[in-house]
Amino acid sequence: MDRDLLKQSVAFHGQTLFSLLKCEQSENPDFKHVTADLAKSVNQRDKEDDSPVVEQFIARKADLLFAPAWKSTTPGEEEWQEESQEPYAIMPPLEQFMDVSYNERRELFYRDVERGDVVIGRITSIRDFGFFVNLLCTAGGMERDVEDLEIMGLCPIRDVPSTGNHDDPLSYFHIGDLIREHIVWIYYLLSNTAGVKDIDRYHEKLTVSLYPTSLALNMERTKLGVISKEELPLHYTRGEQVTTDSRESYEMLLQSSLGFSNPSSVDYLLGMLGIGDTQSHSLMRGLQSKHFMEDDFASAIRKKQSASWALKCVKAGVNHFKSGRHVEAMNEYNKALEMDTNNVEALVARGALYATKGSLVKAISDFELALESCPTHRNAKKYLCQTLVERGGQLEEEEKLITAEGLYKKAIALDDTFHEAKEALRKLQMHIQKTLKLKAEEAAKEKEKQLTAETSAEKLRKILKEEKRMKKKRKRYDSTSETSSSSDSSSDDLSSRKKPKKRKHKRRRSSHSGKKHKQRVSSRDEEEHYPVPANTSASFINEKQTLIKLLDGENRAENRTLSHEKSREGRFEDDPFTRSPETEDRKVKGQNECFSGLNGRDKDTYRDRRRSEDEHSTQQESCRNARITSCRKDSSSSAYSETSRKSDSRDFDSRKSSSRTSDSRNSHSSDSRRSDSYKSGSHGRSEVREGNDRQISYSDVSKAWEGNQKKNVPTNLLDIFNQIAEFERERKKK
Amino acid sequence: MLLKFQASRFCVHIQLTMQASRSAHVATGVENNVTAAGESSNETKTHFRVCRFIIETGVKLGMRSVPVATACSLYHKFFQTASLQVYEPYLVAMSCIYLAGKVEEQHLRTRDIINVCHRYFRPGSDPLELDEKFWELRDSVVQCELLILRQLNFHVSFEHPHKYLLHYLLSVRSLLNRHAWSRTPIAETAWALLKDSYHGLVCVRHQPQHLAITALYLALHTYGVKVPAGEREWWQVLCEDITKAQIEAILTELLQLYDMEAKCT
Repeated sequence: MDRDLLKQSVAFHGQTLFSLLKCEQSENPDFKHVTADLAKSVNQRDKEDDSPVVEQFIARKADLLFAPAWKSTTPGEEEWQEESQEPYAIMPPLEQFMDVSYNERRELFYRDVERGDVVIGRITSIRDFGFFVNLLCTAGGMERDVEDLEIMGLCPIRDVPSTGNHDDPLSYFHIGDLIREHIVWIYYLLSNTAGVKDIDRYHEKLTVSLYPTSLALNMERTKLGVISKEELPLHYTRGEQVTTDSRESYEMLLQSSLGFSNPSSVDYLLGMLGIGDTQSHSLMRGLQSKHFMEDDFASAIRKKQSASWALKCVKAGVNHFKSGRHVEAMNEYNKALEMDTNNVEALVARGALYATKGSLVKAISDFELALESCPTHRNAKKYLCQTLVERGGQLEEEEKLITAEGLYKKAIALDDTFHEAKEALRKLQMHIQKTLKLKAEEAAKEKEKQLTAETSAEKLRKILKEEKRMKKKRKRYDSTSETSSSSDSSSDDLSSRKKPKKRKHKRRRSSHSGKKHKQRVSSRDEEEHYPVPANTSASFINEKQTLIKLLDGENRAENRTLSHEKSREGRFEDDPFTRSPETEDRKVKGQNECFSGLNGRDKDTYRDRRRSEDEHSTQQESCRNARITSCRKDSSSSAYSETSRKSDSRDFDSRKSSSRTSDSRNSHSSDSRRSDSYKSGSHGRSEVREGNDRQISYSDVSKAWEGNQKKNVPTNLLDIFNQIAEFERERKKK
Repeated sequence: MLLKFQASRFCVHIQLTMQASRSAHVATGVENNVTAAGESSNETKTHFRVCRFIIETGVKLGMRSVPVATACSLYHKFFQTASLQVYEPYLVAMSCIYLAGKVEEQHLRTRDIINVCHRYFRPGSDPLELDEKFWELRDSVVQCELLILRQLNFHVSFEHPHKYLLHYLLSVRSLLNRHAWSRTPIAETAWALLKDSYHGLVCVRHQPQHLAITALYLALHTYGVKVPAGEREWWQVLCEDITKAQIEAILTELLQLYDMEAKCT
């Protein structure tokens, strides 16, 4: 029991209450402790105007009324808001209506005013040491109107914050002084130290400050300083209204206030006063909070009820499930879970249904949820183990071995007597080991592959050597063939044959003419290889473009197979991958190396060629153009090599021929390099082109591959080759 | 004993509702015949118990004070014109709670109301099965709600003293010393008194302002808090047409309810 409160009450009501209390609270041990204290405070004054009913009531309910717990522990939030909107009716101070005498109000003000309170006043005079204000009203927790009380406050200069622009902080308020007719409102803060406060009480003097540090904690946000008339607190302006219109009563003002009709004003004010609304707040014995059982509250009963209802649904669902009506069963389970989200039985049953339907992942998640809310559920555990193993098996098939292993391990962790899981795990681990071994082997193979790639380069080297040897033989007959080819090409140029069959033919011829040109140039100056033939270029390019298109279409498929086959032959048998452009590139590079290694001169020319080629590529930015030129060179070179290889019995300058061969090779390599550079765009095409070139060269050069190739080359191309062979024969006859 | 009686009544709700709607028009006539003094005091006791039931149910349902007050007011208003002999008071009370939730915009579910009430009559029992019986019960509550609406001519919104009291509390608070205020549970006591007043007819018989002032007056007196007085007392300012005698009258009426409690339980 709150001793002070009880004392206060007893002092107010007098002897009668005390005797009543002694009578009513005789069994209360708390009261016995305070009885002696109370007896002292009871004065003999007995208020005659108090009804005995009230005293009886106090005496009976004293244990409740004066219980420390009765006063709500959470003090109301006394936030003072400057906003103009009112969540409740803000009323002018009551004393204004009550006509309390001047002296009493003054007294009350000085009694109740405290350090840290916010007051509002009007500057009356400014002196060197500060300025005086006439207080208008207080703001914040205690709302009082003190305008007519002539309460003066002093704001010493040290309590006026400097505005920065002026050396003298008061100069700012001089302006305010000047416009005092327009009323300068200032928030002041009473900033009295303890000593000053005492003076306050007895000498009725107030010191105010404009520094926010002296504010009470809950009003820290209040801005101190000059305010406008609109910023005055509502209770003050309403109070002014009342003083001007005496007919205005408290009741009328309350009814007309917008905040009063706010439907949520009750909740707001309850929060302000710190009263909780939903708990039982009563002086009735039967309504004390202790009589309310947690189980009797609506939410608890509903939960229980939902759970039992959900269980019913699950039962129905299981029946459906047993008789094979899976959809109905699922509906029942879902209904149950809707009512009771964590119903273990429903989760287990639904999981089982999912598992039978094959949705193992969903089943697992259901079982896991069930085990989360009920870790000892036997069925859930059992089913989860089984489902985990099953899912593990699925994953094994999908080659996700590690995940599968995790699932098995989880199953074993759940139930270490579950042999199926152990067995599965053992098998899986063996399988994993096996696959690891396999992988190691594969890796070894990969290494081997790289080694063989190098050997393939060697192989190529061998082939090229042979080529060279053949060329040496051929060179002798070169001059005669050259003249004949030139005449041929000219005649071809004149006659424009449009049939695709002939195209191939023509291309070779034109390349012949190109070659002829090149040869001449090279004989004159070896540093400048492959200048674009001036007279034939236009017709050349056009024809070539169409030709390339054509060849692209025709050869795409066969190139693939061809390259495939070639790689298979040239390398090792068990390479399962289709040749990538990189390996191609590597191969070509190998060629380059071997050639550059062959003779120093060639190396130089090669370098030069390369430079010119690079220049070429940079000059011709358009991808197509670059393609055309490269093609031209390719075709010419290939054609050239072709002829050189064909005529193996010819006698020619060995050095020259070798250089030329190297040239052709170089062009080849540079071409592939360039195609690499725009691989992303026209990768397939460049590959096709290369394949095309290769095909031509191979078809003519190596008789050993011929049979093989004929299998892959379409019939029209075979025709072309036949024609070429015929042509060559004719030429020999000549 | 009493609980058994109530429980049995709960079971015949459905029947009673059917009766009730049929005999709605005769109700006023029946009431006039009941004049015996003993019977009326019995009635008061019943009403007290039913109001207690409403308030308790309100707490269990998590209702705010104002909806509970509305429910009680609806109940009192209903039985001002209807007879206890004709209508089952607990069913009416349940419907009043349901209706009050609608009026005061605090949504309450019939299922919760039925659950809590069922448990009130059979403490410790399992919740009702959601079967045919439950739905019939629910229907009877809804039917009874319509009956109440008709009986009250659809005048179902009331002006409660709650917001008056809260505004008065604020005004009085600024009159007092803040330390005195923070030490004394005036607000709590006044609020509790006001809530308790709904046990009886006090809440519908008097103006809300008067009730609020009485509650505040009693709370201030209880703790012996003196409010500075000028030419007029604080309560005179708050409500101009109230007199000291009126306050005393309401006060006595209000405090009688606490005596009633002892008699009824």
